[in-house]
Amino acid sequence: MKIVSAALTSGVIAIAVLFTVVLPAEFSYDPLGTGKALGIFGLSEASTFTLTKGELNSDQVEYTLAPYGSVEYKYHLQQGSPLMFEWQATDRVTAEFHGEPESGPPGYSDSYEIGKFTQRSGIFTAPTTGIHGWFWENRTPADVTVTLRTAGFYVKAYEFRDGFKNELLLSKASKSNESK
Amino acid sequence: MRFNFKLRYLLGLLLILSPLALGHNISASNAQFVQGLVGPAIAPFMYLGAKHMVTGIDHLLFIVGVIFFLHQTRDILIYVTLFTLGHSLTLIMGVLLNMQANASIIDAIIGFSIVYKAFENIGGFRSAMPFRLDTRVAVFIFGLCHGLGLATKLTSFSLSEAGLLTNLISFNVGVEVGQFSALAVMLVVLGSWRRLPSFERYAFSANVVLMIGGFLLMGYHTMDYLLT
Repeated sequence: MKIVSAALTSGVIAIAVLFTVVLPAEFSYDPLGTGKALGIFGLSEASTFTLTKGELNSDQVEYTLAPYGSVEYKYHLQQGSPLMFEWQATDRVTAEFHGEPESGPPGYSDSYEIGKFTQRSGIFTAPTTGIHGWFWENRTPADVTVTLRTAGFYVKAYEFRDGFKNELLLSKASKSNESK
Repeated sequence: MRFNFKLRYLLGLLLILSPLALGHNISASNAQFVQGLVGPAIAPFMYLGAKHMVTGIDHLLFIVGVIFFLHQTRDILIYVTLFTLGHSLTLIMGVLLNMQANASIIDAIIGFSIVYKAFENIGGFRSAMPFRLDTRVAVFIFGLCHGLGLATKLTSFSLSEAGLLTNLISFNVGVEVGQFSALAVMLVVLGSWRRLPSFERYAFSANVVLMIGGFLLMGYHTMDYLLT
């Protein structure tokens, strides 16, 4: 008798905990309203979006690389900021996707992906505040054209070419100033 | 006395509830890593197997139930071997034959296995039930279920065909390593508790708490199946 009542009681306790606490928190299912009352309703619901500060800009660049020519193009991004990107090359190029964190020592870089590709596309989330982007090198005997298109919450990009570093302003405000 | 009794159950419940939030799936980043692997990768699969076992509250509670009253090394070895045989069989067969069971239903059965073992521990089958399944048979059958659960989780990723058997065996060996490390800790804790007078007094309530945990896992996974 003691055993049966213990088993029944444990079942009842489990069901009570399940419906008052676990289901509202884990599955956003709140038939008794206890989840909302306790403020645990929807605890495990993954948000389908994250809000970001800043101005959304888009950018497109195209480089024609002579044999053994190379170029680097990077965006200044805040930590956690997303970047949508797509690049294509007319032939295989050696490419490295990398970033230089602002807090790092001069010349330090984190490599995200390195290899020989003709195209890459995706969504990148900046792991650090700093400049993040691509290095492309043409190791074929003919010219190769690389086209990059991006959208993200950046205002500045940097181009490294022939030993020069050029700063490019990409915000809508600076673009409208240029056209004036 | 009455208050203490309730407090004990509450504490037990908290202990059981806290890891529930962690869930029991191989984390997204681990899954991504495993899907990127091609060919035999002994160490990553062994590590994942061990991690899956050590962090899986359902497997751990079941082991607590199984060894609760076992104190002879011979008995412990028999039960653990039966459980291991059961889950190794279904894990390897399940992945190789691409058997896809519903993960939630399997997890609910695993929850039920905890309830079953705890009910047996409080003497439920001796007094309340007209039949009694041999514990060794039950442990073997639940071993099969736990293995099918592991297989279902592994087949849900697109694993590379190259080196699949090596990787499966590595995962299984990892599960064993994890199980033995968990078992070692539990044997020490339960073994030292068994020598105290409080063991006799609280063995019943400890198994009732175990049963609540099992019921909760059952309910959680059943509702997961029904609601999502």
